[in-house]
Amino acid sequence: MSNFTIPVGPLHVALEEPMYFRVDVHGETVANVDIHAGHVHRGIEYLATKRNIFQNVVLTERICSLCSNSHPQAYSMAIEKIAGIVVPERAEYLRAIADEVKRVASHLFNVAILAHLVGFESLFMHVMEIRERMQDVKESLFGNRMDIGANTIGGVRYDIDAERIGYLEQQLAWIENALIEVVALYRSNGSILGRTRGIGVLSHADALECGTVGPVARASGIRYDVRVKAPYAAYDRLEVPVHTLPDGDVWSRAMVRLAEAQTAIDLIRQCVRDLPDGPTTATTERPSIPAGEAIAKCEAPRGELIYYVRVGESPKPERVKWRVPSFMNWDALRIMLRQAKIADIAIIVNSIDPCISCTER
Amino acid sequence: MLANYSALFAVLAFPGGLFALAIGLALKGADRRLAARLQRRVGPPLAQPFFDLVKLARKRTMVPDIAAKPVFLGAPLIGAASMLLAAALVPIAGVYTPDPALGDLLVLLYLLTVPAVVLMVSGSASGSPFGAIGFSREMALMLAYEGPLVLVVAAVAMRTGAGMGARVSFSLSEIVAYQQAHGAFLFDPMLWPALLAFLAFYPANLGIVPFDIPEAETEVLEGPLLEYSGPALGLFKVMSALKAVVVLSLGIALFFPMAPAGLAGLAVQLAKLLLLMLLGVTVLRVSCGRMRIDQAFRFFLKWPLALSLLSLVIVSFA
Repeated sequence: MSNFTIPVGPLHVALEEPMYFRVDVHGETVANVDIHAGHVHRGIEYLATKRNIFQNVVLTERICSLCSNSHPQAYSMAIEKIAGIVVPERAEYLRAIADEVKRVASHLFNVAILAHLVGFESLFMHVMEIRERMQDVKESLFGNRMDIGANTIGGVRYDIDAERIGYLEQQLAWIENALIEVVALYRSNGSILGRTRGIGVLSHADALECGTVGPVARASGIRYDVRVKAPYAAYDRLEVPVHTLPDGDVWSRAMVRLAEAQTAIDLIRQCVRDLPDGPTTATTERPSIPAGEAIAKCEAPRGELIYYVRVGESPKPERVKWRVPSFMNWDALRIMLRQAKIADIAIIVNSIDPCISCTER
Repeated sequence: MLANYSALFAVLAFPGGLFALAIGLALKGADRRLAARLQRRVGPPLAQPFFDLVKLARKRTMVPDIAAKPVFLGAPLIGAASMLLAAALVPIAGVYTPDPALGDLLVLLYLLTVPAVVLMVSGSASGSPFGAIGFSREMALMLAYEGPLVLVVAAVAMRTGAGMGARVSFSLSEIVAYQQAHGAFLFDPMLWPALLAFLAFYPANLGIVPFDIPEAETEVLEGPLLEYSGPALGLFKVMSALKAVVVLSLGIALFFPMAPAGLAGLAVQLAKLLLLMLLGVTVLRVSCGRMRIDQAFRFFLKWPLALSLLSLVIVSFA
């Protein structure tokens, strides 16, 4: 058995985004991993200080396509805190709906990619077909498939009527049924279990030490979810179950995501049921934003997303800083990849659902 | 002299050569189409493998700077040539009986290992680390599946030999003739374990999911094939299409060669090939995921080896 150094990335079929792993392998086993980042740095934090506060809602939405609702939401919440704007109740529910719709699509995407990496193309196609229904929902409710533009400072930019609710519920029922089947498949299929059980294990202690968030933390048994610990939008009025699993392997992370996708459907139903009447924005005019600073956080599909915004006298913010969930989960990769097989590298990297455009902005 | 010409014809035109290549590409097209339909996709046209080949033939072959050029370019030629020869060695019941001068089942066994060896050699000649990983995986997989294959062939040969009054018969023509006279081995309980072992062997030899480990796209970027392009890559496609025909035809000859004579026999053979390709290859590869190399290695040492050994023991004591 000889030693090689193989490049995984920056362009690699198994990675959706550019990331460079320099993997030293001994035979089929990983001896050392160097992670090199910086391929999609676009200087958005700097750019945010060159746009005015309202333009930044649009800008933050474009940081990343998969969490494209969480970024403007956390940003808006921070600005609302600075200006003391109270978001109308209807808008809070609508924000939760947008959040959960994106969550279903994001989680299904990741779980589908897992099947693709295992070489199970049919399952990949099947899960992507279910996700496609959620894409249809996004297009019908928000007018767009990825950047849904739901948030604005002081509320939301969309509203749903009885006809749209009917369509939404019909699609949710279909997706819910399809998901039951998919969960059973991931629970029992030999190909999936053989390639994901006991792979890329992150123990509870390691998960705490790395400060992991989101499904990665919950799959290692950490009961942490921003929607429960620090409720925002309408989450304090909804019943949000937190799914945890004890094993911390690739399979657990996939199962937590599938369970959260199922829960998200239930949350959307709760929101639609309790949806109060009223305006969708706090003011019809653009609110004036005083100087000040604030922190806001929300649960993006990948975990806790934190925004810090400082506003001075100028209409442009002095500083916008965000900490994305993938940044926290990144370090855990070193532990997960320890002594892994070459065949499992892509599967393990995918299991933290890395969002590189968020992390490098 | 006439015999030599007919052997040449068998290797280059029928049933090897152009005929086998056309059948192999058509089978691949059918396989891709059915796989797409099973996954609710539209899929490529049936003639897509032909188009691919024509496209590759018109392109340039890039040779990496660090590659060993003669080996890099020679390997695919040897692979395709070995499969051309192998295709002429497999009899088609009622239609074609190979010239004994070309070789028997043992020669075929050797030829069947050539594509795997060629992939290993080309992988290491390309100088790419992924080729090197593909090399080691291909080698491990070959070690795992060759054993059961030899035992399967031995069991069938001994069964035929016992029936013909000899000890063993390594002539495929005799094996086919014996079955046509006494019934197919498919219905012979003594050879059922060997049949099961063969069913595990051919996906590994053809390199399809769950055993496409040496060329796994999402893991080693097609491994040995990574650096290939143009006509050289086309030769690998030719090799793989021919190999599909050879391996499936071998399965038919070993276990179910029953067919009428003449053109009808040819039609029956084509129908069997198509059925085997669609049921045995397509349905298998869309219904599961890939194994890891250690899992596949253990699988082959456990089940196919034990089953083929069992058949051999039963046959030799019966």
